[in-house]
Amino acid sequence: MMRGAELGLVACTTCELVMKAGNAAVGTCPRCGEPLRPRKRNANARAWAFLIAAAALYIPANALPIMETEQFPTYRTDTIMSGVAFLWTEGSWSLAAVVFTASVLVPMLKLGALGLLLVTSRKGSTWRQRGRTQLYRVLEAVGHWSMLDVFVVALLSAVVQLGRFARVEPGLAVIPFAGVVVLTMLASASFDPRTIWDPHD
Amino acid sequence: MELTICTYCDTVHRRPPVSRGSAARCRTCEASLYHADSDLGAMLAVTITAAIAFVVANAFPLITLTASGRQTAATLWSSIAASYNHELPVVAITLAVTLIVAPLVELLMLLWVLVPLAAGVRPPAFALVMRAMHALRPWRMVPVFLLGLAVAVVKLTGLAATVPGWGMFGVAVMTIAFASLASFDREVLWRRAEELRR
Repeated sequence: MMRGAELGLVACTTCELVMKAGNAAVGTCPRCGEPLRPRKRNANARAWAFLIAAAALYIPANALPIMETEQFPTYRTDTIMSGVAFLWTEGSWSLAAVVFTASVLVPMLKLGALGLLLVTSRKGSTWRQRGRTQLYRVLEAVGHWSMLDVFVVALLSAVVQLGRFARVEPGLAVIPFAGVVVLTMLASASFDPRTIWDPHD
Repeated sequence: MELTICTYCDTVHRRPPVSRGSAARCRTCEASLYHADSDLGAMLAVTITAAIAFVVANAFPLITLTASGRQTAATLWSSIAASYNHELPVVAITLAVTLIVAPLVELLMLLWVLVPLAAGVRPPAFALVMRAMHALRPWRMVPVFLLGLAVAVVKLTGLAATVPGWGMFGVAVMTIAFASLASFDREVLWRRAEELRR
């Protein structure tokens, strides 16, 4: 299998037009006008920056309360984890599993997996290149699913406004949590999976 | 000879046509490369379906709650307003962008592109609109919102009588329509527009 880099060909990352790499010097794709580069610019540095920022926000996202529930005569404040634990003890196992996957597992998987991709592609590792590329596609596909809890909290706080009988208020954690989702999406978009396959010398 | 390059691993492939409903995959990394040539009429039909579903999702309640004689309903807009009123404008903006702005702008851009192409006219600002659509796509989160609605309904059943509204139906149809739109190959649009330039 020949690669574009060997044949002197590049594909526009936006419209996928294939052209001779000589055109890349011109700077923009002749078909769609997107800036042309053989590889994404400063891919690893940008990905690391977004990843570290996301990891930092991950702490308040989990430590602060995400939801306050008032259901006369009880009142409780939940973080993401205590919310999952509460669902579990109440017997809503499947719901607990869905929320745990989207809110805890996916963000952790994204931080860990992208870190792994960045380290291995920097070393020019040839270890499981196909598997690493597939891992990157999984990251792209699951990226936005962590927004689930933000949506649930917004919906519940909009609908559960029954005065003293029952009330749901969003907690401060929704801000860093939404931030983690956006930053990890930007981090994986900054990474260039083609570097997994680039020979290293 | 027509060529395509995998955007995930930079492998160069020939570009033979594939049959409808299937996709060509990269031999090196198994990424999906391209689909069968899109039928513009079908694409337009799905876009119009998505647009109607968008209106339904925005105009009708998503969830209605009845408890001790009081009724409350959440619409897309009241959820955004609730976040804003709880002094969480960042969350309100996130909801507005991912659930209203991104899908609406994408649908308008699709119509902007598809209607003239189907009529044999090159759409104004074609390349710009296609690029903007490409950039916007990751920020549309309609399916995630549908799962969020399902989770909210299940959570609420213990609290009060909960009824999913027509708005939720609109979100569901939009989810299916956008998934269908993702399987239409965009290369045909580029080629059709290139032909019309001459």
